[in-house]
Amino acid sequence: MSKTAYKQDMPPPGGYQSINYKRVPARTFFGGWAIIGGYIGMTAGAFYLYSLNYKAVKNRELEVHSANLALYPMLLAERDRAYLKQIRKNRDEENKLMANVEGWETGTWMGEPIYKTQPKDCFIEPNFYDYYVHSSYKDLKKRMITLNY
Amino acid sequence: MGITNETKLPTEEELTVQEVNLSGPALKAAAFHVGKVCEWENNEFVLCREETKDPRQCINEGKAVTSCALKFFQQVKKTCASEFMQYVTCLDKSSPDQQFTPCRKTQAVFDKCVLDNLGYERAPFDYFPRVHVHKTERPKPEPEKPTVYPEAVPGLPEDAPKPPAKYGGRYIFQW
Repeated sequence: MSKTAYKQDMPPPGGYQSINYKRVPARTFFGGWAIIGGYIGMTAGAFYLYSLNYKAVKNRELEVHSANLALYPMLLAERDRAYLKQIRKNRDEENKLMANVEGWETGTWMGEPIYKTQPKDCFIEPNFYDYYVHSSYKDLKKRMITLNY
Repeated sequence: MGITNETKLPTEEELTVQEVNLSGPALKAAAFHVGKVCEWENNEFVLCREETKDPRQCINEGKAVTSCALKFFQQVKKTCASEFMQYVTCLDKSSPDQQFTPCRKTQAVFDKCVLDNLGYERAPFDYFPRVHVHKTERPKPEPEKPTVYPEAVPGLPEDAPKPPAKYGGRYIFQW
């Protein structure tokens, strides 16, 4: 076996670099207290802006509500007159329809009143089906749909 | 139907008056003025309706409301028709629900015209939801009295003896 020149592998002069295992934390701009303070400050500012917006929206809604209230008596007066006209028409229609039935009295069951404790002149609003009983089914259904949706 | 022939109903002639034939945007455009001009009539009518709960007894008040509103609209038509229609068109076409916000400019024009020609000021935007006191001459309706039953069983006399129950109460653990 021939002789081989060995060369011992050695560290570089000056030694190896140190192994980089240290934590390198990110640079901190704010400390904990500053973050908490900033959060509170920004939330307070945002609440202030929100309150401005909230008041503006509420005032807008209030104005619409106000306009509706101003018109309510006028619309109610018109509606009352139309309603009473229709009630009278319904009563006349029932009188005409049941003229041939013996013993029939309008608004009662053969003379037995619906509301027996109330005075005779008492006005109790008829319910939905009573009000529409002489109308066509088409009108009744149309009104039901607009009531429900 | 519970409406008998004894129930008094106003006739067709009593109920027929000239109505305000205007659409929603026109009514909304004039709402603040109409409500302020006809405030007394409106309050009187609504008070009557709330007190009596009976539409038959407030026909005349309702007619006063309608005629007052109609008079105002006729005045507007005479003096500020173009400004009014401009504002109505703006309300109608600027938003799907007739918001007041997009129409402040035309509203200002209309308000100025009404103030100059008719002397009516626009009510503040939150005027009508506020609480108002209404003074009226109409007497307050009598409150409903409790029902009297003629065949009711008469009660015990005042000095009837009331001895304690002989065998205690019927219920256990209930005193």
